[in-house]
Amino acid sequence: MSESTIKRKKSNSISDPRYACAVGASHTVVGIKGAVPIANCSPGCQLKQTAFLTFENGFQGSIYAGAGNMPSANSTENDIVFGGIKTLDQLIKSTLKVFDGDLYVVLTGCVGGLIGDDVSTLVRNYRDLGYPIVSVDTAGFKGNNLFGHEEVVNAIVDQFVGDYKGERKKGLVNLWFETPYYNQNWRGDYQEIARILRGAGFEVNVLFGPENNGVVDWLRIPEAQFNLVISPWVGVRNAEHLEQKYGQPFLHIPEIPIGAEATAAFIRKVVEFAGIDKEQSEKFIKEENQIYYYYLEHFSEFFAEYWFGMPSEFAITADSAYTLAYTKFLVDQIGLIPRKAIISDDPPQKFRKGIEDAFHNISEGVDVEVEFEEDGYLIEKSIKEVKFSSGKPLILASSWEINIANEKNALLFEITPPSSETLIINRSFVGYKGALNLLEKIYSASVGGK
Amino acid sequence: MSKKLRQIAIYGKGGIGKSTTTQNLTAGLVEQGKHVLVVGCDPKADSTRLLLGGLHQKTVLDTIRDNKTEIQLSDLEKVGFKGVRCVESGGPEPGVGCAGRGIITSISMLEQLGAYTEDLDYVFYDVLGDVVCGGFAMPIREGKAKEIYIVASGEMMALYAANNICKGIAKYAQHGEVRLGGIICNSRNVDNELDLLRAFTKELNTQLIQFVPRNNIVQQAEIRKKTVIEFEPKSSQANVYRELAKNIDENELFTIPTPMTQDRLEQILIDYGMMEKDYQI
Repeated sequence: MSESTIKRKKSNSISDPRYACAVGASHTVVGIKGAVPIANCSPGCQLKQTAFLTFENGFQGSIYAGAGNMPSANSTENDIVFGGIKTLDQLIKSTLKVFDGDLYVVLTGCVGGLIGDDVSTLVRNYRDLGYPIVSVDTAGFKGNNLFGHEEVVNAIVDQFVGDYKGERKKGLVNLWFETPYYNQNWRGDYQEIARILRGAGFEVNVLFGPENNGVVDWLRIPEAQFNLVISPWVGVRNAEHLEQKYGQPFLHIPEIPIGAEATAAFIRKVVEFAGIDKEQSEKFIKEENQIYYYYLEHFSEFFAEYWFGMPSEFAITADSAYTLAYTKFLVDQIGLIPRKAIISDDPPQKFRKGIEDAFHNISEGVDVEVEFEEDGYLIEKSIKEVKFSSGKPLILASSWEINIANEKNALLFEITPPSSETLIINRSFVGYKGALNLLEKIYSASVGGK
Repeated sequence: MSKKLRQIAIYGKGGIGKSTTTQNLTAGLVEQGKHVLVVGCDPKADSTRLLLGGLHQKTVLDTIRDNKTEIQLSDLEKVGFKGVRCVESGGPEPGVGCAGRGIITSISMLEQLGAYTEDLDYVFYDVLGDVVCGGFAMPIREGKAKEIYIVASGEMMALYAANNICKGIAKYAQHGEVRLGGIICNSRNVDNELDLLRAFTKELNTQLIQFVPRNNIVQQAEIRKKTVIEFEPKSSQANVYRELAKNIDENELFTIPTPMTQDRLEQILIDYGMMEKDYQI
């Protein structure tokens, strides 16, 4: 190794990871009701993905063919030397017997990816026999679980949904939003955003989570008037693909709305784009505002009086979507001072400028210099450098930040994996209802001192 | 005093005659009373055909493929010409799996089974022509083969491949004991071949250990599944292979090669009349 290689400015290794690998997109499949992931990877691969994405991430649990039920090829040395197609073929056959799935998704990890197993031909043969099955190349060396998520979505669209020549239905919207399981509040968040869009007059095609009706919703994708992507970057590639495939337009809104003001603006933007009747959406905004501010008025009494020990500054590190959404709400609506914002989900370069711009204009007179960092060591170092001025600061991060939060005498609030001190069933911090939950969560910690 | 086992890997461009040369050279060594093990490291499993009088029927990887639990060395090893021991690594069918990993797996298995017995004088690894990935470099890694011979000819691509292989050897030599023992010229009757090879080996900081002239008797022996030494022991070609065996047995010149740049290689080819002046690789 040459000296110049050794003296790299930045390490190419990552400690304290904050995302899973591409084959973890098996959880995108688990997020679709009736869909069965078939993991074509080594033993232990899916255990790690499940542990990281569902267990050490709010102990979310799993359903049907998820977690420990997931069929896996458990590829070993024989599969590497002689090819793993035979093993996979047996696994598919067994899976078809054991699981009565509406859709099967074969996710090939590093072994098949490295040796170049022709998985797509094998899977195509099953498809030709009439089985609803697709294959995706999700080798871990190709990217993280967010890359894998987008790959899975495109594969289902291409190999299962297929071509469409019919009409598009005005007011029907496909919701492309948080990444199942990875974004720990995804189930509750999907419900709240779907509720809001329905309230505004849309028919919402919910593709993941509790309100997803299974693969029937996926087959309806081409019928929708447009695709709505609510995320700084995840899902944009899918919307672009759908635009190309079906000529379906898309609206990209980087910020997940939190609170009455942001949510009303969000609704108006979507309604404007769709060109649907504004009467219903305005009526909905008015009704929601009344409820929201009814509660907020009560809260304001506490907020104005209980001033000791309250956080006035915060640092945040999470994926692009949560970091942007929570920062915006805390700065713009609560008036907290952002001292550090670190994005840890490795967004593609082409989205970074846009994300930075969103932070620059986060609130009137407030400009946040966002950092992009995946390595836990450097994230901790960066937070360590922050000199919080007074009181008890708030750190919104992962369990990796427990030590630095103690060191800074800060309140740690887990918002991103791994989160090993939080249990999540149905939780949301977005939209109207979620914003109030977020305030409860933050200020309960303040009054409880933890 | 116990004998010192010499582990030797033979490399060279695909089709250059590595297997033929290795087997004839081995025949020369066993004739001298040496104990030799030949390990074929080619998925085609045809590296020991001339020594065994036919293809080896059970490769190391075949036994692994069959998931056989109790594997004995005797399942894998066959004895051929004058007691030479032969194993074939084998590999996946073409276009499937990973043959490189197969080489790693099978060499590890041979070690586990204790194939390298104390009575051996030599182990030869006959490796697939183009060292396409780490697996095919396995025989020269981790203290296995410490001597390498490259089979080449006066043809441009053979020299190009030999030079490339030297880059690999130089890399492993930095941290290990692997050294180049010399170049074996398997003549293709190219003009000025001997001079060209001498110049080439000098530039590489090694020696031309044997010039093997082209002779149809090699093909005649091959078609009968025999080495030349077995087929026509009194032929001049048999003596050439005996001389090669002797030269290797007595060789004391082991070097770290100094592979050349593409420009320099081309210059040597031009100097020896192989290439027109306006021709570039």
